[in-house]
Amino acid sequence: MGKKRRGPSLEELLDRPWCYYCERDFDDLKILISHQKAKHFRCDNCNRRLNTAGGLSVHLSQVHKEQLTQVHNALPNRMGVDVEIFGMEGIPADVLKAHQQRVASQFQQAELDRQHATGNPTSGASSGRQPAKKPKLEPVSDLKKRLAEHKAKRAEALAGGSSGDVTPSSAVQSTPTSGVYTQSPQIPAAQPYSYPQPYGGPPAAVTPHFSQTGSPVYSSYSPVGGQQVPGASPYTPSGYPSPYPVGLPAQPPVSYGAPPFHQQQPPPDNRFMGLPAASNLPQRPAFAVPSVNAHEMQKMHMGHVPPTPAASGYSNGDSFQSTEHVSTPVDNQISGAANDMASKTDDINKPKKEKTKPAIRMIYNDDTFSPEEKMAQLPRYAYVPDKSTQTALGEIPGNAIVGAIQDSDTVIDPAH
Amino acid sequence: MTSQQFIVASPPTDAISALKFSPDPNSARIVVSSWDKNVYLYDLRDENGQVGEGKLLQKFEHRAPVLDVCFGENENEIYTAGLDWDVRKINLDTSEQTVLSSHEAGVRHVLYSREHNIVISASWDSTLHIHRSDAGSNPDSLPITVPLPSKPFSISATATKLVVAMASRALHIYDLKALALLTAQADTPVSGDNRVEVEPWQRRESSLKFMTRAVACMPDDAGYASSSIEGRVAVEWFDPSPESQARKYAFKCHRQTGEDGVDVVYPVNALAFHPIFGTFASGGGDGVVALWDGISKRRIRQYQKYQHSVSAVAFSASGQHLAIAVSPGFEDGHDEVPEGTVKIYVRELGATEAKGKGAK
Repeated sequence: MGKKRRGPSLEELLDRPWCYYCERDFDDLKILISHQKAKHFRCDNCNRRLNTAGGLSVHLSQVHKEQLTQVHNALPNRMGVDVEIFGMEGIPADVLKAHQQRVASQFQQAELDRQHATGNPTSGASSGRQPAKKPKLEPVSDLKKRLAEHKAKRAEALAGGSSGDVTPSSAVQSTPTSGVYTQSPQIPAAQPYSYPQPYGGPPAAVTPHFSQTGSPVYSSYSPVGGQQVPGASPYTPSGYPSPYPVGLPAQPPVSYGAPPFHQQQPPPDNRFMGLPAASNLPQRPAFAVPSVNAHEMQKMHMGHVPPTPAASGYSNGDSFQSTEHVSTPVDNQISGAANDMASKTDDINKPKKEKTKPAIRMIYNDDTFSPEEKMAQLPRYAYVPDKSTQTALGEIPGNAIVGAIQDSDTVIDPAH
Repeated sequence: MTSQQFIVASPPTDAISALKFSPDPNSARIVVSSWDKNVYLYDLRDENGQVGEGKLLQKFEHRAPVLDVCFGENENEIYTAGLDWDVRKINLDTSEQTVLSSHEAGVRHVLYSREHNIVISASWDSTLHIHRSDAGSNPDSLPITVPLPSKPFSISATATKLVVAMASRALHIYDLKALALLTAQADTPVSGDNRVEVEPWQRRESSLKFMTRAVACMPDDAGYASSSIEGRVAVEWFDPSPESQARKYAFKCHRQTGEDGVDVVYPVNALAFHPIFGTFASGGGDGVVALWDGISKRRIRQYQKYQHSVSAVAFSASGQHLAIAVSPGFEDGHDEVPEGTVKIYVRELGATEAKGKGAK
């Protein structure tokens, strides 16, 4: 697996042309210039695109008899028309410097964040003698969703009929991690057979799709038997978000010896319910995944997990698979396990997602009284209908509606 | 392609609440109602018939701030509504004022339906009053009162329908013909206040999550646009069929990103449809006026920002002029209105300036 190309270097970032008026950066100076012409130097009246603010000013005054007071779509402190900007030319030195500093600090921040998130070094190769990377985070909701999906699929497959065991060995690919594949329980709905025991992997399981959807769930339990998984060992079932109730409320918490097994029980699969625990035992070895040696494990662990946030990859198996063209279920499992850990131990990355919605400040924020009603309550607009004293009803109507009557001493009491 | 802009001479001294063009396409008269308790009548043409800064023809003082004004059957009569709870008819030739009816709270809107010859007023007492146009002169002609579930914030009418946007995001669409018939039958008062429960032709919930600020109907009677205090405009169609309803949409506008990256969201105070092209203008608290093509969902243009909030926009009947009322309002947080901040701009539109571009 080749190293994924990281983002641009600091030099590349600093070299990018950017717009003085809105601080946007562009791939190319040409694009920047056309951006400025379209966004900042365009005449509102006739849509003519001028080259500079000065040009627009002259155009406006000569053609439309208007005065250009500010540059459109500009940042508040960059609206001035006196600065002559064309592309990257004309940017005051102090602004340029501030921009470069900003880019540099952003770059460093991004670098730090990435390092923090992936455990990779800030520069250079990512493989080799690195300490265990920080596990990536998968939101609990995604995890639950995946679990539910997986269960539904399993249930579907199981309901489709049953046949004899399929030996796990048939699923083995020519990798030393064969044991892993046997756990992949994903059975396509189209598959004509299904399995009395959920852990017998069909041959199809070696294809990326099935292993992808199935494995992350199991991966959380790999520590039960697979102590070799480096990042996963601290896992404890209790930390798993609500192990039992998710998707299978009807299932009683029958103990099979290894608590995590409960989660893998598909809800409709009643064959296991009430059966002696022994019925499950034969599967357990397959379940205790990594019969891989630690060295291989580490290699895969380091090399194969993409540095992108795990959540995106795992909630959508297809997109993940498109990048990892060769199926690497072990990786999935490992990172899956890491994800589980992350969801328990490391919530730092979580707020990132929520931040995407920009903060909003509403100028007028009262959903019951319109601005006019508010204005009408101002003492200077207060009006008391003199007719109110004459009406046969004799009441002073609508105090609450006008609202201004009580507001000020200057308002004449309608009764007088 | 030139588009000229004039500032109307002798503007009101306080915030503008409404601005309307004469229904006569050959006329360039506008009426303006203001919080300074006056209604102003301007003629934008000078002696040579050139549209320019115009002149103030008449001014009608009211007892309280005037919240809305509209032209009646012709250029010589207007209807006004305001905080004095009254709906008035003013004959511009004789300056005679007649009170058509009195609400029990401030009257926010008044409109005249030419096709049905009725005057509709909407008040914060959560009622509509519907008057025959001979109301006032004919003592037998009594308005009917239509109770609403909430305070009306904006009303607009086409040839056949009346759209009433209310608080609590409620929106009623009435059949104007039915309202006109009811009004015609109301010669003898049914009860003390002549209340008539009218079932709207359609009840809808606003497509916008926040308080509706303005509603305006398409000139082709197909639908309407509504705007909210949260910088958003929705376009919907009357036709209740699923296909038509699927066409409705809303978009964000009149927003600015501040220095701190916070999106500042302004209310969209005013909407007006172009009588010929069917495009519409929106005016926001940010002082921006934009022209939109509601069919192809594109912005046609956006004018240079005005100093203060835009409180009203109107197209002339000929579609050649766009009038924009600028006044410091609530959005700016001004309590006092400094002199010279209230302005009326009139833009002379180029032949295709407000024309939609057509789908891409």
